[in-house]
Amino acid sequence: MGRLERIAAEQDRALASATGLSRRGFLSAGVGGALLFGFARQARATQVFPAGAPLPPEQFEPTIWCSVGSDGEVNVNIIRAEMGQHVGTALARIIADEMEADWDKVKITHVDTDPKWGMMVTGGSWSVWQTWDVFRQAGAAARTVLVEEAAKILGVTPDKCVARNGVVTAGDRSLGYGDIVGQARPTRSFTPAELTKLPLKPASERRMVGKDVKALDIPAKIDGTAMYGIDAKIDGMVYGRPKMPPTRYGSKVVSVDDAEAKKVPGYLRYIVLDDPSDTVPGWVVVLASSYPAAIRATDRLKVEWTPGKTAHVSEKDIQDHARSLIADKNGGVMVVNDHGVDDAFSKASSVFERTYTCASVMHYQLEPMNALARLNDGVWEIHCGNQWQSLFLPVIEKSLGVASGKVRMMTYMLGGGFGRRLNGDYAVPAALASKALGGKPVKLILTRSDDMMFDSIRSPSVQTLRVAMTGKDTFHGMQHHAAAGWPTQVMAAAAMSKGVDGKPYDQFAIAGADHWYDCGPLRVRAISNDLANDTFRPGWLRSVSAGWTSWALEAFWDEVAHETGKDPVALRLSMLNGEGPDGRNKGEAPDSNGGALRQAAVLKRLAEKAGWGQPLPKDTGLGIATTFGQERGMPTWTAGAARVHVDRATGLVTCEKLWLVLDAGTIVDPDGALAQTEGGALWGLSMALCEGSEIVDGTCKDRNLDTYTPLRIASVPEMDVEFIESTEKPMGLGEPGVTVVGAAVANAIFNAVGVRIRHQPIRPEDVLAALKEKSAA
Amino acid sequence: MIKFKLNGSEVSVDGPEDTPLLWAIRDDLGLTGTKFGCGVGQCGACTVHVGGRATRSCITPISAIAGAEITTIEGLDPAGTHPVQEAWRDLQVPQCGYCQSGQIMQAASLLKDYPSPTDEDIDAVMGGSLCRCMTYIRIRKAIKQAAVAMRSAKTGETSNG
Amino acid sequence: MIKRILAAVVGLVVVGGLGFLWYAWYPALPKVALPKSGQFSAAQIERGRIVAAQGYCAECHTRQDLGGGPTLAGDYAMQSPFGTIYSPNITPDPETGIGGWSEEALARAMKLGVSRSGAHLLPAFVYDHFTKMTDSDISDLYAWLMTQPAVHMTHRENTFPLSITPRIVLAGWKMLFFRPGDFKPDPNHDAQWNRGAYLAEGASHCGSCHTPRNLLGAEKTGSRYDGAVVDGWIAPPLNEHNPTPVVWTEDELFAYLRYGVAPLHGPAGGPMSPVPHQFLSKIPESDVRAIAHYFADIDHAAQRVSGDRAALELAMQQSKRDLLGPTTDADATLYQGACAACHYNAAPSPVLGRPELALNSALWLDEPNDLFMVMLRGLTAPEGQSGVAMPSFYNALSDHDMARIAAYLRRTRTTRPPWTDLEKKAAEARKLVEIPPVNSSH
Ligand code: FES
Ligand code: FES
Repeated sequence: MGRLERIAAEQDRALASATGLSRRGFLSAGVGGALLFGFARQARATQVFPAGAPLPPEQFEPTIWCSVGSDGEVNVNIIRAEMGQHVGTALARIIADEMEADWDKVKITHVDTDPKWGMMVTGGSWSVWQTWDVFRQAGAAARTVLVEEAAKILGVTPDKCVARNGVVTAGDRSLGYGDIVGQARPTRSFTPAELTKLPLKPASERRMVGKDVKALDIPAKIDGTAMYGIDAKIDGMVYGRPKMPPTRYGSKVVSVDDAEAKKVPGYLRYIVLDDPSDTVPGWVVVLASSYPAAIRATDRLKVEWTPGKTAHVSEKDIQDHARSLIADKNGGVMVVNDHGVDDAFSKASSVFERTYTCASVMHYQLEPMNALARLNDGVWEIHCGNQWQSLFLPVIEKSLGVASGKVRMMTYMLGGGFGRRLNGDYAVPAALASKALGGKPVKLILTRSDDMMFDSIRSPSVQTLRVAMTGKDTFHGMQHHAAAGWPTQVMAAAAMSKGVDGKPYDQFAIAGADHWYDCGPLRVRAISNDLANDTFRPGWLRSVSAGWTSWALEAFWDEVAHETGKDPVALRLSMLNGEGPDGRNKGEAPDSNGGALRQAAVLKRLAEKAGWGQPLPKDTGLGIATTFGQERGMPTWTAGAARVHVDRATGLVTCEKLWLVLDAGTIVDPDGALAQTEGGALWGLSMALCEGSEIVDGTCKDRNLDTYTPLRIASVPEMDVEFIESTEKPMGLGEPGVTVVGAAVANAIFNAVGVRIRHQPIRPEDVLAALKEKSAA
Repeated sequence: MIKFKLNGSEVSVDGPEDTPLLWAIRDDLGLTGTKFGCGVGQCGACTVHVGGRATRSCITPISAIAGAEITTIEGLDPAGTHPVQEAWRDLQVPQCGYCQSGQIMQAASLLKDYPSPTDEDIDAVMGGSLCRCMTYIRIRKAIKQAAVAMRSAKTGETSNG
Repeated sequence: MIKRILAAVVGLVVVGGLGFLWYAWYPALPKVALPKSGQFSAAQIERGRIVAAQGYCAECHTRQDLGGGPTLAGDYAMQSPFGTIYSPNITPDPETGIGGWSEEALARAMKLGVSRSGAHLLPAFVYDHFTKMTDSDISDLYAWLMTQPAVHMTHRENTFPLSITPRIVLAGWKMLFFRPGDFKPDPNHDAQWNRGAYLAEGASHCGSCHTPRNLLGAEKTGSRYDGAVVDGWIAPPLNEHNPTPVVWTEDELFAYLRYGVAPLHGPAGGPMSPVPHQFLSKIPESDVRAIAHYFADIDHAAQRVSGDRAALELAMQQSKRDLLGPTTDADATLYQGACAACHYNAAPSPVLGRPELALNSALWLDEPNDLFMVMLRGLTAPEGQSGVAMPSFYNALSDHDMARIAAYLRRTRTTRPPWTDLEKKAAEARKLVEIPPVNSSH
């Protein structure tokens, strides 16, 4: 018996004595199952493979979204990835509330891919917003049937029945949901059209939405039983590690020498990947019987490549290129192009213009990229955490050369997403390596430096903003030009939006610039930086473009305010008037009811809380910024303030406190909402002050935490977060927290010491240099 | 063959001596609660206790822990109810959760050394444990809450005994 | 312990011409039958065990590479620039060990550095110290050695050409540097001090590592206990030149020698590690106390200890430096991520198991050897503080990263001038670690 088999046998024995089941039994139960959590701890075997719960004998499934068992258990199917948002809990609350379920009997199942689920994507803070209507309807469907069936059993009319907490009551008699299912065996199911006609509860009748709840995924994350992609294990699997080519694209393997690798005990072989999908050109995978052996053998494998043409591209090249693209008036796509904007600028007495830049930012999701692939019963299984299964299934199919439907992604928890796992590129080398072994399971793990070398970084960006001044203190008309790598163009071109000029553009590389301010005619131009796209694979990174467009926009308004002698808060409030060209800032039901006035409201509340305008100690400043979250179409009205202290001697910026006020409509899961906002805001702070890489010779120079330095606990400021009470449709909260902090910090620095830094991250040396320049002037 | 104690039971690992403890625990011994984050001792995701002290298992070879007592998140408390875990649950600290085994193991050992940790103690000791979801505000709170619980449990014991 | 035969070997060649035949010649002593079991009393054997532990015999006479070898059966590899020498088998095996040695032969080897065959022994066998041992200690040692399990094992072929080293060369070296003779108690000191001195200078041969050697490989008599380099580590000064800000008091020394970790100075690492764990923890406590007492006098602890409180306070301040908020120092950030979780301490005093770097000699020595060696190799559970381990940063930190951390600690945790050429020195230290201790990856 080999080592792995022996361990497996030992585990089998241990498990059998503990549960009376064999691990293999669990494995087969796992097929067709999915990652499930809810009640007590799962058996140990779930650490090997997530196992589906055995189905109760009878169950009622009015829609694909939920079922009620004859034991009273309510299962909610979740198609969104769990990566820290407690998304299953939030979504299950929506169904459970509408169906009047007993929360203690609700469990959630994170399902594997299946066409029936429709588009599987988790990102953009969309989950609650996207699911809100569907899940309320699904809950209403379940409740309607259960009440009708209970009424029949109890011999009353449905209107005499009240459903609460998993029980239907009529007078002094009552029936639990499980009993109803067991006795009546309802089978009714609903078409989407029928669903939309069901009556929904009014907001006043909500009993779970908006109330605190313990997230169902948390216990497993505290005792070590939570299963992430990296924890997947299948009998007979071998371990793989990729050997990364010198450039992301265009590298070709010339020769491979594994003489040294062969000396590593456990080394099996290498595979030069042949990838028809061109996702991983020039990658070589090293296989070994253990991961440490794969690590060492990969280090020792010698591969010679002819690199792609971007082998010497630098960050500066990319940014210089961005500047030239902006300078060319004809390039890019018009996202907003109001009538009269050219006129305003040609008539202007002067133009106030500023350019803002951001460095490359890396995801550093804590779980390095990994995937386990195998061929099982004619279907390729990919075991990994992923945020956009629907996008990458076809890519994997293409790379394997198999027909649609022949690849299935099995669901695991994500050790961080932040947009990195929207790009499923890491599944491809695992699949191809498994294919080379005839479908044998291959577990491919990237070391951190592998992961960082080809991270789908947030592209460096250049933005130029202008207002047309009429006199010294007024302006009329604005332009915002932004150039960066375009993730959606590179990875999901079909999902791009169309500009007002009919050309496709990446909404995730400009959203945030299409603001709700009324500042006269507006032009927003998005420009794809082709050199960036060619050099690396641009990625979506938490709050995507709103993480950097808002930073420029909100710093710019501060500058405009100072230029025109206005108070920055007052200036913004004056523009957040709910009007604008064609009245576009009025808002639309249901997503943006109330429009810009809701943004004005959060800003006002924030200014009040943070003590805007009050004196502060020396070299300390308060900065504010406001956004509509991440997307104009689903605005989370957000205002943030940062209080910073600047050390003039060293240039060190210390953020002492952050305030955020948000209006995200109905808050479904208050504690989860708070957690997401806290995390998002600290991401904003981390990108503002701590993070930023640099392209050197075609790849990011940082390979690990020795040089890449995300925010750590000691630099975490005090934080005050407030949500505006609302019964409007719920919006997202995963990302809005990010959007305001960068600009708030930059504005605070200006208010503290009078220098304006227009590059992110803001490093002490930049502050110092600016201070010097200022005192020289 | 290296022998050591894992969560109270004798175990042995057959791999090469330079095998990082992390992979021995995860792959050979099947306890996957301990995570791989950076592989270079700078994120804390792989933190376990060796002889009761928080140790980065990703860069600790199994040869170094022969005969030692290793505790992982699975063995911190048989029922998963160590005061640190209770505080973590109560305050809903984890987001993605990937760093949390390491955070909890580090925090438990911090509280052994500093039963009433100051903010300084927390910053300095927890500074090696990266949380990419940035759950730091809750980590700080939960450590303080656990400290209070542990202290009152202690005084409870003395007064009972 | 004494693994520094390098300089001695260089010396041999140089002084070769100075040998004197008459001085050099010793007769072979006859081979005797292995003493019968029962010839020695249990008490004598036990006394002999203690003497062997005082002298760490098993350390240099037991193979350590290739997964280790039988205790005392030799084959321990010592490196020299001319090749490797393997230590002899000192189990009572008549053919491959010392089973045919009389007590007289053992005593002659210990006291005069001459083998049973009459050949001069290399000074890697530290008879310059053993010569001070009493006859009764050697007699007890003989009893113990002869009652250990006999192991039939030859050591590997030396790659160092011992056979061509004329005995006359060794004789010349001995004439220049070797002064045979018993330990002379110092009447100005009490019995405990003299006991400590007897052990330190005799069986326990502290100077072999802690006293610098001259070009010819002999301990420099004028620099006794000034510290020296051993296998890439610095064996720190044991006298008043020891640079740690808090002095080595008798209590600190005792804890260190007995348990392998001193509350204020940290754990024993590298070649020092076996000394407490395998040997000094197994001899009478009073002997360890005596050694500690002796060195506390040698380093003038009593005169210097008044500065300790202030030094400790300062160290506790420095311990949290750069860890409590953002910093402009990227090296501090690296230290925070890689080291501080285990090395931070808060007033009033370091926690056991959190070695306080601001107090540790590794940061205060003239060169960063010990810091680099411990970073590269880590500490295994049996080393230093028992049962705990320090990871190996061999693959985790580049030479550049190691240099950054070293420079940072030196400038923030000590008052000594900066180390120079750190990256190069890190690379050199790395070369001394033959096999990377851990298979991790950046
Ligand atoms: S994985 Fe060990 S410290 Fe990061
Ligand atoms: S909870 Fe996700 S990394 Fe900490």
